[in-house]
Amino acid sequence: MKHSRPALLAALLFAAATLPWWAGNQYQLHLATLISAYWVLIGGLNLVVGYAGQLSIGHVGLLAIGAYCFAILAGAHGVHPALAVAAAGALCGLCGLLLGLPSLRLPGFYFAMATAAFSLIVTEMSLALGGLTGGGVGIAVPAFPPPFDTPQGFYYLCAGAALLVTWLTGNAARGTWGRGLIAIRDSQVTAQAVGVPVFRAKLVAFVASGIAAGLAGALFGALQSYITPDTFPFDLGLFFFVCIIIGGRGSIVGPFVGTAVLTALPELVAPLAKLGTFFYGLLLLVVVLLVPEGIGRLVEAAIRRFRPAREESVPVRPDLARLAAAIREGRG
Amino acid sequence: MSLEAREVSKRFGGIAALSEVSLALEPGEVHGLIGPNGSGKTTLLNLLSGYYRADAGGIVLDDEDLTLATVQRRAFKGLARTFQKPRLLPALSVLDNAALGGWRDCSAGFLASSAALPRARREDRMLRGRAEELLHGVGLGHAIGRRAGNLEHAEQRFLEIARGLAMRPRYILLDEPAGGLTPAEIRHLGGVIRTMRDCGIGVLLVEHHTDFVFRICDRVTTLDLGRIIAHGAPDAVRRNPDVIRVYLGGSHAAA
Amino acid sequence: MDGLLIAIVSGVANGAVYGATALAYNAMFSTSKVLSVTTGHLAMLGGVFGAWFITALGVPAWLALALAIAVGALFGLLTELIAIRRVLARSDEHLWLLSTLALATMVSQAVGLWWGTEPKPFPRLIAQDDTAGPLDQKYWLPVLVALLLAGLLELFYRRTLYGKLFVAMSEDAFAARARGIPTDLVRAASYALAGAMGALAGFAAAQLTFAYFAIGLTLTLNGFIALAVGGLGSNPGALVGGLVLGVLSAVTTYFIGGEFQQTVAVGLLMIVLLVRPQGLFGHPDVRPV
Repeated sequence: MKHSRPALLAALLFAAATLPWWAGNQYQLHLATLISAYWVLIGGLNLVVGYAGQLSIGHVGLLAIGAYCFAILAGAHGVHPALAVAAAGALCGLCGLLLGLPSLRLPGFYFAMATAAFSLIVTEMSLALGGLTGGGVGIAVPAFPPPFDTPQGFYYLCAGAALLVTWLTGNAARGTWGRGLIAIRDSQVTAQAVGVPVFRAKLVAFVASGIAAGLAGALFGALQSYITPDTFPFDLGLFFFVCIIIGGRGSIVGPFVGTAVLTALPELVAPLAKLGTFFYGLLLLVVVLLVPEGIGRLVEAAIRRFRPAREESVPVRPDLARLAAAIREGRG
Repeated sequence: MSLEAREVSKRFGGIAALSEVSLALEPGEVHGLIGPNGSGKTTLLNLLSGYYRADAGGIVLDDEDLTLATVQRRAFKGLARTFQKPRLLPALSVLDNAALGGWRDCSAGFLASSAALPRARREDRMLRGRAEELLHGVGLGHAIGRRAGNLEHAEQRFLEIARGLAMRPRYILLDEPAGGLTPAEIRHLGGVIRTMRDCGIGVLLVEHHTDFVFRICDRVTTLDLGRIIAHGAPDAVRRNPDVIRVYLGGSHAAA
Repeated sequence: MDGLLIAIVSGVANGAVYGATALAYNAMFSTSKVLSVTTGHLAMLGGVFGAWFITALGVPAWLALALAIAVGALFGLLTELIAIRRVLARSDEHLWLLSTLALATMVSQAVGLWWGTEPKPFPRLIAQDDTAGPLDQKYWLPVLVALLLAGLLELFYRRTLYGKLFVAMSEDAFAARARGIPTDLVRAASYALAGAMGALAGFAAAQLTFAYFAIGLTLTLNGFIALAVGGLGSNPGALVGGLVLGVLSAVTTYFIGGEFQQTVAVGLLMIVLLVRPQGLFGHPDVRPV
């Protein structure tokens, strides 16, 4: 499996780069753009949910703030879209900080409820601050300037952003930070024992996910071209969350596949669209009860069954000279 | 230079778990801590490593008062520990588990790390390399790529020690590291502990396996009902009538 | 002035619903140490099924009440069987949050698909014309029921054998099991009890909240805030927390408008958690590592 990974990645990148040519119609291209925009958010949220194990179900609130910020700055105030995108990211990073500061100290259920409440507050605010957001009527979102003003161009912009998020979170996840966040998720006591500043590390991941959500909001808003409070229902936050849990915690490929499949599935299978969020709830329940590690782990286990790794029992036999050298080197 | 508990006391509800216990762990010594179940051994370990806060008394590490310091701060000051029931990250590989101990040497911020700046990559390679050497050293070279959740019990114990050593500690607290090990594995554990000592690390060994403790320790402290009842060279402690009465004799009678 | 009076009375009534929801949280928490996301949906089921039995099936109100309570108890029981029992055995602290969230999503969406996503009015239970103002049944019914529930629960815990089993299990589940108490059965019973309580409260309050699928989520959230304000595990605290939250939102709605209700509720939660994390009536947790 180690050897097939780069090949798989290259094939995936090639498919994504050539998608506008082989996509059957504009709608499929739109779907691919939507998946990319969602992934910008979910990729960042993955650090919080999949790695640090903090169950945020309210990231749709940050998505909405990002979208409104972009629409208001780039639309009503004529700010350059690139600047407006940066502002959306910065604002949502700040909101993440303000939300995370009180809530990330709380136990799991309290945190989940705080994020849920946050997304409801954002809905309330977007209705109340009609002068800014257009209230219930909504507000138009300007398109990005050329060359991103065509469906193809905008697809490449979103896909590029998605790729960037994947790369950034992948780097973080593979290194010391990824290990520290997983320690927070799986054993808080261990995390403390090795010196991981639990609250601060969670906050860093949460702020990063906020910035990603802000960028995603700008892209998502531009893709929708018109947004109202109904564009950002509470269920959308659940959807983001479910994509990660179903794909599998502690992985990047899993949640990405989860995002792609769950976004496309209801569009391709009409009865599922009618069931809507019920379907996500059912899927979540099945996964939690049967494969709590996520479907990604199931696939991994299946591959391993085909290629059984030789894990025979070898007695532990220390190499004390090497141990002494390693300890001395560290203390050197 | 030592890790010291100075007359620490700890109560849970109405029960005194520890009463005015003093203990000093010197660099380069193996210090045994024995006593019957409930005598306060693990409580003392939790006070030293910062999971509990002392009701009275103080914790001093190399002349710095750490009585109120967090667990993390003590880790940064060079204090590592293992747990009675190994606490590993089952989803991660053995190498990643050991490399987790390198957190205190990670200077790359989240941004540098996620942008894969050369400095961050070099640092991560270094931490992994050190973890790998330590794993070979404790005898887990064959298991480096495995998921920690698939390890056998003895391997988990040695992995916890490797993780502790990856923190480059000056003092390491081992909570019943021989629990569940075979005689051959206990011999290997002894080798690892002696090696740590010879490299200048102070080892506090909490253990029920008294033969092992008296064989390997330079000094032994015995607790009973939250108080120190004997302290000194292994042979002297072994012959101490109080120790024989409350612990050694008792355990033979029970066995 | 009359407006303010009505606002406060409706705040008290809403607060009673939050308080009753918090009581249901407590009943389930005591035996399982789980805060279930389904809690608010129990009341939603009571309101929706009550309205359906009376208006669609033409069942008399007392029978509709009994049937709605049965639906709530059944859903509570199913929650324990599906989302709690298997998950608790695995001892991963996140899983029960996920499983109850999944179940809550399913039940609210299923009701939305079947009953419709618009709020529907709940029939009058007692003959009374619409001129009673603050004395209207839609205000005092939920208050009466919340007080009744708290009182009966107290009697149940103190006076009955079954109640004592609940208390024993809430204090120390391991010890309870060691002494031969059938903990699975007690836990299932507590979930059925919470379901019945929630449905009764939802039925009594539905003239105020309407028979509406989305109030499940609102009540899960506001019931939880009432619980956290009053103190997790305390039943008097649950009622007081609900009252504080209900009156506070009603008064702010009266003075600055209804646009910021959720914001005010969460603000209250944050202030309480900062100043007194264990809540007004809670005990600070002593939990060694």
